[in-house]
Amino acid sequence: MAEDLVLDTAIRDWVLIPLSVVMVLIGILRYFVSKLMRSSPSPDAKIVKEGQVIIRARNLKAGANFIPLRSFRTRRLYFSNEENGLLHVPKGQGTNPQAQMFSDPNMAMDMMKKNLSMIIPQALTFAWVNFFFSGFVAAKIPFPLTQRFRSMLQNGIDLSTVDVSYVSSRSWYFLNLFGLRGLFSLILGDENAIDDTQRMMQMGGFGFDASKSLGAEKDGLDIIQHDWALPRFEQRAESVLRKLVK
Amino acid sequence: MVTKAEETELNQLENQVENGGGGVWEYLCLVRKLKVRRSELVLKHGLSILNDPGKRSSLGPDEWTLYEQVAIAAMDCQSLGAAQNCIKVLQKKFPESKRVGKLEALLLEAKGMWEEAEKAYSILLEDNPLDQVIHKRKVAMAKAQGKPSSAIEHLNKYLEVFMADHDAWRELAEIYVSLQMYKQAAFCYEELILSQPTLPLYHLAYAEVLYTIGGQENLIAARKYYASTIDLTGGKSTRALFGICLCGSAIAQLSKGRNKEDKDMAAPELQSLAATALEKEYKQKAPAKLNLLSSALRSLKL
Repeated sequence: MAEDLVLDTAIRDWVLIPLSVVMVLIGILRYFVSKLMRSSPSPDAKIVKEGQVIIRARNLKAGANFIPLRSFRTRRLYFSNEENGLLHVPKGQGTNPQAQMFSDPNMAMDMMKKNLSMIIPQALTFAWVNFFFSGFVAAKIPFPLTQRFRSMLQNGIDLSTVDVSYVSSRSWYFLNLFGLRGLFSLILGDENAIDDTQRMMQMGGFGFDASKSLGAEKDGLDIIQHDWALPRFEQRAESVLRKLVK
Repeated sequence: MVTKAEETELNQLENQVENGGGGVWEYLCLVRKLKVRRSELVLKHGLSILNDPGKRSSLGPDEWTLYEQVAIAAMDCQSLGAAQNCIKVLQKKFPESKRVGKLEALLLEAKGMWEEAEKAYSILLEDNPLDQVIHKRKVAMAKAQGKPSSAIEHLNKYLEVFMADHDAWRELAEIYVSLQMYKQAAFCYEELILSQPTLPLYHLAYAEVLYTIGGQENLIAARKYYASTIDLTGGKSTRALFGICLCGSAIAQLSKGRNKEDKDMAAPELQSLAATALEKEYKQKAPAKLNLLSSALRSLKL
């Protein structure tokens, strides 16, 4: 168990390096294809307005202590007024983002395209790895692992006595899957370095959920106690001037 | 906002370019990135690059951005012929482009053909109703034609959608002040303070508007905002120092017959300190006017 297996260098030449190269190439290919397929997003006026309302409400929260009490109150009323306040979302009409997602054909198409462009290359590469590169030990991980990882990392190797540090090529595939972001940022420029992990996260998120954020901002505004900071400034100004004229 | 480092770099490049050193392309890129308005220099040096076919081809695809930049600079300097040439070149290369369409409408505006420009902008807006630049050009046109009320109308409509755009709020505030609609201007300045509470410029402007509106409460508030300006600028804002002295005397005048308890005594020495600071500054920077200042301050205190 503790003895070291000597791995053939041919493994390195013909397994590890080609696998990495292939994944990098697929990533680059995917980037260019997505650039070609990207439809220019037509921003909805309502969504833009809601976004800006939220920014303004946040500014109000942040700077509330800098304006006089009356102005703050007027603004707060403007935002959270029960009848026509900007942040007020009437209970029935809060747009269900999911329903909206599927009813709007454009967005549904975009979602599908994004998902497909991610799933297909991943599935294909995985199948390819499994088919060609299974059944042998590919690499040795430099740190010791527990037995629990055996099923995950040693998939093609049917010997139960081999040390868990010796892994199959499937684990090299996963390592590349999560780790190539740095490389992509070098090749494609810093902004385009989205690798698969981030894309998987994007798959889960459902787009800008306006009604919830509006409600959250409204609650935040309602909570605030106004504490006019300006009198304090007067005293600070006094001390500043005192130092200046000394 | 332009940072200090960028400002020094810009000035350095400007000197270099003016004195015949190289670095024209870097200068133009920096001007474009920082969105500063150096139209004469851009025009002069941009044209020198564009008219030289060797240098022009070495730019590659950036050539077209340079054409756009030089076109806008030319219109700013009123050399419409140069602008027309640049736009023609761009039109040939990108026939159906919205960006070139914007430049054409801008040229109509520069020539003073208001209706045609208005029509052109409306057509562009139909394609893209959420284009901020076009909305702002409409406001600028209304202002240039001397119709501030129409400019205000456009700006208000713009701000209904894009309410987080603080440049627009600032423009609106200035138009209101020019029309003496001070209460509305005060509202706009409050918006600005909310979005950037640490910028002394907005505090100062708000204080001035409050002082102009007048009335006991507003004067007290104005004094507080002058004080916050002093605090934010470390005592260097001469205008704020003057503001405090004037506010102090105005408040004293208003509350002459009234109950002295109402007076805001948060910082009683502020006024005298401001006066001393002013005298010190004048001694340093404009000693000839010091007597004038002292007599003015003395008359205020009475």
